[in-house]
Amino acid sequence: MNIDTIKKEFPIFDKKIQNNDLVYLDSANSSQKPKVVIDRINEFYSKQFSNVGRSVHYLAVTATNLYENTRSSVQKYINAKDKNEIVFTKGATEALNLVANTLGQKYLEEGDEILLTELEHHSNYVPWHYLRKSKNIKINFAEINEDGDVPIENIEKKITPKTKIIAINHLSNVTGAILPIKEITELAHSKGIIVVVDGCQGGPHLKLDMQELDCDFYAISCHKMYGPTGLGILYGKKKWLEELPPYQGGGGMIKEVKKDRITYGDLPNKYEAGTMATAQVIAFDQSIKFLESIGIENIIKHEKELIEYGQEILRKNNSVKLIGNPKNKGGVLSFIIQGVHPHDIATILDEDGVAIRAGHHCCQILHDKLEIPASARASIGVYNIKSDFDQLNESINKCKKIFDLK
Amino acid sequence: MNLKELYQEIILEHGKNPRNLRKTENFNKDAKGNNPLCGDIVHVYLKLSEQRKVEDISFEGSGCAISMASASIMTDLIKGKSDNETKEIIEDFLGMIKENPELKSNILKEDDKTKLMCLSGVKQYPMRVKCATLSWHTLISAMENDGKEISTES
Repeated sequence: MNIDTIKKEFPIFDKKIQNNDLVYLDSANSSQKPKVVIDRINEFYSKQFSNVGRSVHYLAVTATNLYENTRSSVQKYINAKDKNEIVFTKGATEALNLVANTLGQKYLEEGDEILLTELEHHSNYVPWHYLRKSKNIKINFAEINEDGDVPIENIEKKITPKTKIIAINHLSNVTGAILPIKEITELAHSKGIIVVVDGCQGGPHLKLDMQELDCDFYAISCHKMYGPTGLGILYGKKKWLEELPPYQGGGGMIKEVKKDRITYGDLPNKYEAGTMATAQVIAFDQSIKFLESIGIENIIKHEKELIEYGQEILRKNNSVKLIGNPKNKGGVLSFIIQGVHPHDIATILDEDGVAIRAGHHCCQILHDKLEIPASARASIGVYNIKSDFDQLNESINKCKKIFDLK
Repeated sequence: MNLKELYQEIILEHGKNPRNLRKTENFNKDAKGNNPLCGDIVHVYLKLSEQRKVEDISFEGSGCAISMASASIMTDLIKGKSDNETKEIIEDFLGMIKENPELKSNILKEDDKTKLMCLSGVKQYPMRVKCATLSWHTLISAMENDGKEISTES
């Protein structure tokens, strides 16, 4: 599939947004959906729908097979060793809560430490924060440098003999910093530390190879990967998923239920209690196929060119200050304009059909550190083209005019 | 939608040079407000007389042009008002932002009404209404609820 014409695969770009062509620069928040994914949901509900894994009738068998097909596709796409290392969740947030909760129950002792970075999204901090109270564990933060990056030395510095878990993002949703997960994992494992990766931004932008990265857990957000909402994936090494206790209780996750005892199902059912997001899982198979048809290497190259072009354009704009200049950067360009609050920027840009995000992007720790209350963020997907950044810049100039900036 | 209606001269001017952006000395009522979705924060300080007249009102905080201008205009108009007048102005403003085409109260002078009506442009921008009302809800909290922290999301 030719990446230069990929935009036409996404029906939303046929629509005028308030009489403008849509310039969608909010993919770090959620990506748009290709037609194949939208159609698959329709087709499944129209022709194949049934719940999975329970009944023996024809539709149930069909749906179950389709559901499990996606698990196999995901396993292949992220190069996991075993199909049962793929757990479907309602989102990456639930995946991270699952890990924090079950590691907290079985693995952590009072006084143990968890190491995060200052870049973390709230969903890779709040679930660990719960353990401060329930388990009396301590949370440390590896600091960012002036480029908005977290070099491995800054992580190493904060490791103590009590550090049991390192939980880090693969790609920062604010500075775009890409962390060296493989090296961090090597370092952590040499000290017996578990590595949990928040892969929300890594999923759509980076090559996912679990055996290469060797991390213990990796959380994925499907709606940021051209897939449906309401679906996430937890990759976990088999030994951990087997050893850790179940997360939620309910139908489908049990082996035997008696009045005096309950035994739990095998992987992956153990972590998939209740009726799952069946249509979303089945449609996500199309998202994987879509990504495979372009090829992650092509996506990386295309997005690198786009980000470099965007940086170049915005650097020339003297009122714009870019946030973060990490060596390895992907996916996002965050910025501020001195004298215009990010919300005002976003409202004015919206008038031209330019969709960005303004706020703290669920990263208050990072914004506190940067000493700014909020920032504006332009984030990209496979469908973006260079002229999107030209339009962004033009609309930024409109902001400057309204706010009387030179 | 009309950006010119949202970003009127008065709003931009108050946003850039907010009035009463300070902390009242010897304040006897205060409340904090925040919008967790966007990180806007405001802290309103009041000095009420024994008869609950607003002897001084000020605010600290950071936010967009709309929220800063709204807090600025609010503090300008409320200063010197009695308890009942303050309540009436707040109710009138919130009513105007929600549904009423005009301000109804007769307490404010015509040019003060004009200033306040400048904020009516946010009606066309539902996501921005909270920016305009945060400081007003925080003022209510400071006056009524003994300073209970206000959040736009609860």
